[in-house]
Amino acid sequence: MKRRVDPITMQVIRYAMEQIADEMGYTLVRTSRSTIIKEIMDITCAVFDEQGQTIAQAHHAPMLLTGFEITMKELVRRFRPETLHDGDIIVCNDPYMGGQHIMDLMTISPVRFKGRLIGFVANLAHQQDMGGSAPGGVAGGMTEIYQEGLRLPMVKLYKKGVEDQEIMAIIANQIRVPHVTIPDIRAQVSCNFVGIRRLKEVFAKYGPEVVRGCTRMLLDYSESRIREGLKRLPDGDFMGEDWIDNDGVTDKPVHIQVNIHKRGDKAVVDFEGTDAQVRGNINCPIATAYAAVYYTMIAVVDPHVPPNSGCYRPVKIEAREGLIVNPRLPAPVAARTNCSQKIVEAMMKAFAGIAPDRVMAGSHGQITTCAFSGYHPRTGKRFVYTDIQGGGAGGRWCKDGRDGQDSHLARFMNTPIEAAELEYPVRIERYEFMTDSGGAGRFRGGLALRRDVRVLHENMMLARYSDRQEFPPFGILGGKDGQKGRLVLNPGTPQERRLKAKGLEGLQQGDVVSMQVPGAGGYGDPLERDLAQIEADVRDGKVSVEAARRDYQVVIDPAGLRVDLDATKRLRQGA
Amino acid sequence: MRIGIDVGGTFTDLVLIDDRTGKIHYTKTLTTPKNLAQGVVTGLEKVLRLAGASMQAVAYLVHGTTIGTNALIERKGAKTGLITTQGFRDVLEIGRIQRPQEGLYDLTIDNPPPLVPRALRREVRDRVTAEGTVLVPLDEASAREALTYLKGQQVEAVAVSLLFSFLNPQHEQRIAALARELFPEASLSLSSELAPEFREYERTSTAVLDAYLKPVVARYLERLVRELSDRYGALDLRVMQASGGSMTAEAAARQAVAIVNSGPAGGVLAGAFIGKLTGDSRLITIDMGGTSFDIGLVEGGIPQVTSDGKFEGYPVKIPIIDVSTIGAGGGSIAWVDLGGALNVGPVSAGADPGPACYAMGGDQPTVTDANLILGRLNQDYFMGGEMALDPARAEQAVRRHVGEPMRLSVRDAAAGVVRVVNANMVKGISVNSIERGFDVREFTLIAFGGAGPLHAAELAQELGITRVIVPPYAGNLSALGLLVSDTRHDYVRTLAMRQAQADATRLHQALRELEEQGIAHLLQEKVRRQDIVVSWSADLRYEGQSYELNTPVDRRPRFTAADLKALINRFHALHQKVYAYTAKDEPVEVVNVRVVAIGRSPAVSLKRQADGRTAGARAALKGSRQVYFPDGGPVATALYERDRLPRGARVQGPALIEELASTTVIPPGCGAVVDGYGNLILTVKGRGTSRASARGQARRSRR
Repeated sequence: MKRRVDPITMQVIRYAMEQIADEMGYTLVRTSRSTIIKEIMDITCAVFDEQGQTIAQAHHAPMLLTGFEITMKELVRRFRPETLHDGDIIVCNDPYMGGQHIMDLMTISPVRFKGRLIGFVANLAHQQDMGGSAPGGVAGGMTEIYQEGLRLPMVKLYKKGVEDQEIMAIIANQIRVPHVTIPDIRAQVSCNFVGIRRLKEVFAKYGPEVVRGCTRMLLDYSESRIREGLKRLPDGDFMGEDWIDNDGVTDKPVHIQVNIHKRGDKAVVDFEGTDAQVRGNINCPIATAYAAVYYTMIAVVDPHVPPNSGCYRPVKIEAREGLIVNPRLPAPVAARTNCSQKIVEAMMKAFAGIAPDRVMAGSHGQITTCAFSGYHPRTGKRFVYTDIQGGGAGGRWCKDGRDGQDSHLARFMNTPIEAAELEYPVRIERYEFMTDSGGAGRFRGGLALRRDVRVLHENMMLARYSDRQEFPPFGILGGKDGQKGRLVLNPGTPQERRLKAKGLEGLQQGDVVSMQVPGAGGYGDPLERDLAQIEADVRDGKVSVEAARRDYQVVIDPAGLRVDLDATKRLRQGA
Repeated sequence: MRIGIDVGGTFTDLVLIDDRTGKIHYTKTLTTPKNLAQGVVTGLEKVLRLAGASMQAVAYLVHGTTIGTNALIERKGAKTGLITTQGFRDVLEIGRIQRPQEGLYDLTIDNPPPLVPRALRREVRDRVTAEGTVLVPLDEASAREALTYLKGQQVEAVAVSLLFSFLNPQHEQRIAALARELFPEASLSLSSELAPEFREYERTSTAVLDAYLKPVVARYLERLVRELSDRYGALDLRVMQASGGSMTAEAAARQAVAIVNSGPAGGVLAGAFIGKLTGDSRLITIDMGGTSFDIGLVEGGIPQVTSDGKFEGYPVKIPIIDVSTIGAGGGSIAWVDLGGALNVGPVSAGADPGPACYAMGGDQPTVTDANLILGRLNQDYFMGGEMALDPARAEQAVRRHVGEPMRLSVRDAAAGVVRVVNANMVKGISVNSIERGFDVREFTLIAFGGAGPLHAAELAQELGITRVIVPPYAGNLSALGLLVSDTRHDYVRTLAMRQAQADATRLHQALRELEEQGIAHLLQEKVRRQDIVVSWSADLRYEGQSYELNTPVDRRPRFTAADLKALINRFHALHQKVYAYTAKDEPVEVVNVRVVAIGRSPAVSLKRQADGRTAGARAALKGSRQVYFPDGGPVATALYERDRLPRGARVQGPALIEELASTTVIPPGCGAVVDGYGNLILTVKGRGTSRASARGQARRSRR
């Protein structure tokens, strides 16, 4: 029971490190001001060793979880240990320096114990505004990163615990809501101070040798779990691909391709065949591309592994500069989720050839974001109502896809209808699943969502991005494709028209915008689907009587909504 | 005289307080799952015999039941239908679109399925606006059609949740009237009555849970009341709610959702009560049983309450005592994963087959097995000797599943199991406190549940807590919580009133109306007027925020603009405390007003015995055993019988204090004293901040 480097102490230290990350997360949520941090929790907090390797991370958005890997390598390269002091806070939001997009501000602190650098703590938070041409940063149509906001390289905002007022003044001068953003940046700082204190406590309690030995062991442990998992999968070269509809500037589709080369306990993932970077803002910074690859690796190979840098060692990623997944300056990146979700989808498709019993069919594969803005009739002030939706999640090897939920890299919440209407001049007229939108399969793809929003005030604008309106969510291993997405203005009226997936539009008072997000693909042959499940789907109106016949070759008696076994047999034999 | 009855999965615990003498009697009996009333009657007879009393002398009974919780876990609720506004029947299933945290990477983990399938969710044509005005009047034909359909489908219960019904409930009420006419046999749950607050998913979820559980709970309570009154004549039976208050059995049968998860609430309430006796107003309560570890927090003597709770993953918008649970208990199974690391839980061997040492067929190593190997449990005195433990089986399980794969001795493997489960619980307690904005080191730890006292001192050492209380009968403390609960009803109304349009009169009137409702309800339940206490509060936020802060409102006969301003200032101050910032220039919004109506139960005053400072522990000393502690051991450890420890007795660690349902571990360097109420008060010395001092301490204590 002594405190030494052994697998049991390793597990105790692991919990202690996870506790630090969690405590940092709660501190950040508690002391920040904007809803995107407090409610949507678009943040992450992490603890690193002195080499910048991730030891523990708070369980927030997966896209951000794995992204620090690149950032910290860059930071360790740029700063020599002796230049990093107690109380220094380095800020960075540069997608070209390991960042995500401009809105995601990272604050990183070195931690010293008895004079030596022992590690780092860091957090990332999606700030409400970082300047740039669009409030809140959500809009299509931008063609350069310079339009997307103030880009901070790795600079020390705090030096030995003292805030650099000049840098803070530059930031404050460049953003629309300094009364929100500046306090939120300080909340990020206090979150790091909590992490610093707690990390030092752990070092004091166990001693540097034991902590270092245990964290090394922990990284090796995660590595060995991923290696062990990979070893159990067959070797080979597996390709997966997907398409982004367009970049919002031209109509040209963008090809995403991943090639997994799996050998023994290792894998190389390259992006040969992927298109070059584009003018529109769907380019995906390298940190986000890494996050997409690592996310899928962990989900498929060992979803319960402690996520740390050790997990990434057996996987080598090759992404040439100039591709959409590793763009060069000055490519804009604000709508990168349209691309990063497709990387996950392509990875899943490739893994379907290696581990068919671990993958999900194509999901809604994007994040439909509609920002309704205008001047509020009650206050006369400018408002932005951002409506973010989920969609269908793909069918799985063991069960149906989730109907109308978030998926993969994104994990967030919708806005309640009553909250939206109490706050903004809108009325939501329906929020429901769309029948027959889930791809047929042994396990059905998740259903699409439809949300109709009527605007009740004059001179409102609609900024949005969405995708999967040209290329449907794919079925796998015999499963059928799911329904594509659409944005429709004034559905069911003579004025009905399709809206472009990405863009900016003026709205008339009384207009209805119908957000019809994509469904998801099915898994496996629809003819293998359990008849009782088909019957339940028809009874629930998730699948129509006609689709049951067409996609599953099952005859349902429309009166009693029961499977007609004889008629089904005849239909299947005749086919 | 009053009696608390806590019916758990395995045991039914009873507590009787004799208010004249301040004496308390505890007993337990086996739960009888087929007819729970049978076990209750057996227990009542037993506890009355102990007290030498008859039921005539009993003023009332308070009952804590897991009937609702179990029906939910086992999905054995009623077949339920739901009626919503047209276009919104899927709100219940869409939820907040967010997958659970456990499903971050695990593609198989989903939110729990809706309790009403889509086919039984019917829509009516109606629409109320965000101002509470009627945009589309209720189409009664569509309502009749929905009800007739659900009747045809033979549902037992109907939930109704229409958009903005919290502002204007008339359509929900009209549907209820139609239901009574067309479908009188169905039980009804209206969202506007149960949770009149904004956020349609959470409100609908509350109404659906209530509908789903109501027939089951009502049937159970009716039968229990009938069997008890057949035997004892008319009785005053109250039922515990998750809010920490109780209500009459009739009210509970009408509001079933309120009684789910009331067991853990009883524990926190009992913890707060014990804290009052010992003079501790800031407490962390830990309840470690066979499968789970419940953490509660008491601040200023009052258990923390939340309105954003969840039961089994389903949101409930009613005030409940905030208890968080992690999967760590005596029965938690230890296992070595593919990467060679040791994990404990969340899978539990439960009570059946139980830990390997129970010799009831379990062969997996559990926390209890590890404690037995380390010498912390007495193989001959588990459950007061009712159950013999088999150390050979414990060792075999630990050796095979932990020791051999990790190349550790059985003892080191067992020590590892305890360290890992402790580290997990430390993380749970610490993160939980930080989440609520508290520094855990400023709190006293109060430990109960069968396994709580075994681990409490070591958890405190890790957390930097210096004071630990182990109350008497720590194994069945929840039942005591029932007895210290007051009758309680909660009322809420959404006002959504912005500062610019803030109207002191409107705010005041809403509070008065809710108060009148509450008082009428309590009087109807035969609470005496002088025992009624009402408190007001309001949920405020900065405009545009998505979180509200519950702010106390002074109860006054009139309410002026100045009072409103004072309320807003109070909100600013509270915001500073909870969120560490305030924004005095920003407009504030009064979202909801709340009224709590309490019918005070007579105070429980326990008899305190004088601190016999000279009383020695020697009389209770029954031997010595080799016990393993972190950073050392084996250590010769004194064994005491708790029941024989006199008030005022002091015990120096290392020591074990054994009692019927539990064992308290006092590590080296720590001490305990028995206070006037029989509580063990442990003084815990931290294990220092470096290895050297931790070792030094262990060495000193071994001398």
